[in-house]
Amino acid sequence: MSETPTYAGVPGLVETREALGETTLVVDPARLVEACSFLRDEHGFNLLSDIAAADYLGWGEPGVAGHVGTADGRDLNVPGAAGLARVPDRKPKRFSVSYHLLRVSDDPARVRVQVWLDDGEPVPTVVRVWPAADWFEREAWDLLGIRVEGHPNLVRILMPEDWEGHPLRKDYPLGGEPVRFSDED
Amino acid sequence: MLWPDRGPGVFEREVEELEDALLLTTVEKAVAWAQSSSVWPDTFGLACCAIEMMSIVSSRYDIARFGMERFSSSPRQADLLIVSGRVTHKMAAPLRQVYDQMLEPKWVIAMGACASSGGMFNNYTILQGVDKIVPVDIHVPGCPPRPEALVEGIVRLHEKIRAGVPPAYEIRGVAE
Amino acid sequence: MSVLPSTRIYEGTRIPYPVPTILDVDPERHRTEDILRVNFGPNHPSTHGVLRLIVDLDGETVAGIRAVIGYLHTGFEKNMEAKSWWKSITYAPRIDYVSFHANELLYVLAIEKLLGIEVPRRATWARMAMAELNRIHSHLVYLGTGALELGAISLFWYCFDDRDGILDLFEMAGGTRMHTRYVQVGGLAEDLPPAFTAEARKFCEAMPKSIDEYEALLSRNAIWLERTKGVALLSADDAIALGQSGPMLRASGVDWDLRKNMPYLFYDKVDFDVPVYPNGDVYDRYRVRLDEMRQSVRIVEQCLDRIDETDGEPWVADDRKVVLPPRHELHTSMESLIHHFKIVTEGFRVPEGEVYVTIESPRGEAGCYLVSDGGPRPWRVKFRAPSFAALQATATVVQDLLVADLIAAAGSLDPVMGDADR
Repeated sequence: MSETPTYAGVPGLVETREALGETTLVVDPARLVEACSFLRDEHGFNLLSDIAAADYLGWGEPGVAGHVGTADGRDLNVPGAAGLARVPDRKPKRFSVSYHLLRVSDDPARVRVQVWLDDGEPVPTVVRVWPAADWFEREAWDLLGIRVEGHPNLVRILMPEDWEGHPLRKDYPLGGEPVRFSDED
Repeated sequence: MLWPDRGPGVFEREVEELEDALLLTTVEKAVAWAQSSSVWPDTFGLACCAIEMMSIVSSRYDIARFGMERFSSSPRQADLLIVSGRVTHKMAAPLRQVYDQMLEPKWVIAMGACASSGGMFNNYTILQGVDKIVPVDIHVPGCPPRPEALVEGIVRLHEKIRAGVPPAYEIRGVAE
Repeated sequence: MSVLPSTRIYEGTRIPYPVPTILDVDPERHRTEDILRVNFGPNHPSTHGVLRLIVDLDGETVAGIRAVIGYLHTGFEKNMEAKSWWKSITYAPRIDYVSFHANELLYVLAIEKLLGIEVPRRATWARMAMAELNRIHSHLVYLGTGALELGAISLFWYCFDDRDGILDLFEMAGGTRMHTRYVQVGGLAEDLPPAFTAEARKFCEAMPKSIDEYEALLSRNAIWLERTKGVALLSADDAIALGQSGPMLRASGVDWDLRKNMPYLFYDKVDFDVPVYPNGDVYDRYRVRLDEMRQSVRIVEQCLDRIDETDGEPWVADDRKVVLPPRHELHTSMESLIHHFKIVTEGFRVPEGEVYVTIESPRGEAGCYLVSDGGPRPWRVKFRAPSFAALQATATVVQDLLVADLIAAAGSLDPVMGDADR
């Protein structure tokens, strides 16, 4: 098992997190392209595996999933406090975009580059670093409304072109119809 | 009997009653027999149900014995549209276009839970039942339905045709 | 029709520029007045599902192409956010509906990584056997439909007949042919039936003979060679730059298989080879998948031996906060009853965190990015679809192809639209 590599030289690095055997490098969005090029050229991360964006609107608030107990730990007197139940830490901004990189070589490794954005804040495109980013960034725009600056073809990809709204946002309803049963009217 | 209006034999009894009521002439019976013996399906495979639809062509479930192995890619030459899979709003327009291009008489089988009612996907993007845009003759439940279930749906369609039941577009329109 | 003043590409590659996934007509090589734009619409006879290709043709040569997807976007990710952890597992196999067990396995591995739960070894061996049977299933569907599209129609029936044998095994273990939902968080949903290993061994004996038949029919067939050799070329560097994985990468000469290079489950304890071919054309992708079927049979046989060895061992973890207690305990133990009630009504809770798990699905690297907030439902599930990445390579591989070769190229990418659109 190789020693944990040091990513200290990555441009724009804000924070490094290690959890569950995975390394997350939080990077400043303005220097994202520099950081990605550095990782590709200096550290050999030649394959972009995935770009995953997430919306944290409502994270840790009452009535939303994990909010039970106190910040310090489990409150045994609260019903439903089975398992690990503490208020999750606040997230820095509303959206996170995670770039999952893979090094295809004899010394394989994975790393996650993460940027945090507010609603409306754009993220620069990495399609010139890895052409594979093309459709992943379009999907982030289509489903979550994350504008990608410099993308050569930022149009909807999964939803119809005239669709309004960004479906995977937390304030977008799930949609669908109420189910009708045959003996009701 | 526990449920007089459901269960084995009820469909066959109803078809018989219809046949007596409709009083088909010999020519109509002959035409119905011919129509039901070579219903050519259209290749409208969308998702998981399409994989099970492909397996009815395979040697174990063999729909060639019904004269149906000739899947037609051109809707102009197809008689039966087996909508197999979930239909998104984006795909609804091409589906209706394909249905419109088919020549009469034409039948529609909604295969699987997603085509019949939207299935487990009650959300912003899936059409909750393909009978909202095309009139459906037979719904086949399952997720995905076994090939035997689809073959039963097809056999019931053949029985309906031979009994003289008109295709769905003549007796009902699309659902609300 | 979009025409660039001059077509520049990324240096040294065949990837189109500026948009890697759109091939624009090059006015220096084609007469732009004669271009015919043809729509290979979402409903077309190739059985890859609802893929739409807008192709610009100069006579029979493909001059420009763009792929339009989204006709099967089902909103899996949003639906899974609304369901409890247990219920959301049902959605996962329907994403890549040809290799359904791989998707279930992927999602459950991600949940188990966040939970930190340990899966008993019998369950892991059974999961591996199912995953490899699923790989054979997926490659049989690829081969059957791919050959059908190129005119080798009879192969469709041979492949689907073998495929029915595999589905019988799935039905024996999981109760239904497809979408068995056989993996459970912590292990398997049920133990393997006693006759399973015997039936599976019979299948493993018969399968290599079938693969020999397919090779005899195609591998040295002059028509097949004409139609697949040198068609749809993709170099190793381009493949990596485009995020390809799995058979696409191995057919271009890159020796990369997650099962060998970054092993998960017990793949480091079984013996198998990874086929790699250098040319990067349709023929090599066909050879890679055919050889992979043979290797999968080897792996299944080894897993069956281990399953027989572990007969009688538990098939699901013992953690009662996550896994339902055995039914007979509900009559005698109060704690078991309470656990059962909690798990069935509210569902178990997964600790807060984010995780990215990948497996080698038959199409390549399938990944699941899972974010949990500590609650009974997922916060964000994102599936990395290998078909999504494979379709991005369409514009690169179809350069200088004829229309008939386009079908061969699309078939060799092996896209499943449920996977690409999610």
